[in-house]
Amino acid sequence: MMETKIKKALIIDLASQTSEVKSFSDLNSYVGGIGVGLKLYENYKECDPIVFSVGPLNGFFPFASKTSVIVSDDGVIEDLYVGGNLSLRIKFSGIDAIVLCNKSEENVVIDITNTSVSFKPEDTDFNSLGLPGKRSLIDMSGKEFIVQGYFSTPENFLEKCLLEKKIYGMCITGTENYKPINFSSYEKLYSEILNKKSELRVEAGIYPSCSNCPMGCGKSKVGEIGGNVLIHSLVACHFADKIYSDIGVVFSCLNVLGYDYTHEDLESLPKLIEDTIRRVS
Amino acid sequence: MPKTLKAVKPEKCNGCELCVLESQRQLEKVGLEESLIRVFTGKEAGEEYPVFCIDIDPRINSIGIEKIRDVCPKLVLEIE
Repeated sequence: MMETKIKKALIIDLASQTSEVKSFSDLNSYVGGIGVGLKLYENYKECDPIVFSVGPLNGFFPFASKTSVIVSDDGVIEDLYVGGNLSLRIKFSGIDAIVLCNKSEENVVIDITNTSVSFKPEDTDFNSLGLPGKRSLIDMSGKEFIVQGYFSTPENFLEKCLLEKKIYGMCITGTENYKPINFSSYEKLYSEILNKKSELRVEAGIYPSCSNCPMGCGKSKVGEIGGNVLIHSLVACHFADKIYSDIGVVFSCLNVLGYDYTHEDLESLPKLIEDTIRRVS
Repeated sequence: MPKTLKAVKPEKCNGCELCVLESQRQLEKVGLEESLIRVFTGKEAGEEYPVFCIDIDPRINSIGIEKIRDVCPKLVLEIE
């Protein structure tokens, strides 16, 4: 059963090596991605959080293939977007966000399967983590944030923050399956959007592709920073902005998944995000 | 001998997982659990790009393999 009225976050306290899943009924208006990420950042600001978040379309629709990351770079809030298979694994873990709080005493590798978290030593064999085919591996052993051995983020804000927290790697495995209520409408819409690939602002390439995107473009390797808040709340690829800036397409996607957002909800999103940034900066 | 779906050009796979998601949609599921196709990511030390390995469950023949073949952007899959 898909939950469309609340957002679920996996809160990980690195200092005590504990975790809990929390449901937030007041985060629905933030939609997902950067919106939910910023609000969770505000909620946990005292714990110096790093927030990974996905949006309502991740896992369900093509080109909604990115993961939003909110970090503080010496007090300046940065929103980063990373490609690869990470967003699908977070979504299929049954959660909307992962919040990494505080700092570990020892170097640690975090192994997440759905909402279960275990903390492993830094010399852990990465191949022993999670479930192959259903996992996303983030290896920090080379001091760089690399998903699937390929996808990274712009600048080095994230590496710096993760290493300060003594995180040397993460594995996220998602084993939840979903079934949209009106499955035939969902399938039809999925095909229609996949057929819009000529509207992307990137050319198909010979590179590794983000999950649920056929392009294999040369732009996905380094991720994105900043940009359109609706796109990044969904969390779609920046180069699919022509598709996901079409409010009709967005509403069709949200409605077929059971979300009941209104035009007013989406119109008020930029201000909601702007106000949140102002409060946390 | 019935025809089946095979990964004839696995070296061309870009890891998009469209085949995985298509096979799941045919079973009215969105997710990776109990998928009849799995894409494994590997990386050799010193190599710039990951490599992808495709594992196809023989039960794939019970669903629409033509649609799965056709969704692959790299023409990795064939029906033989």
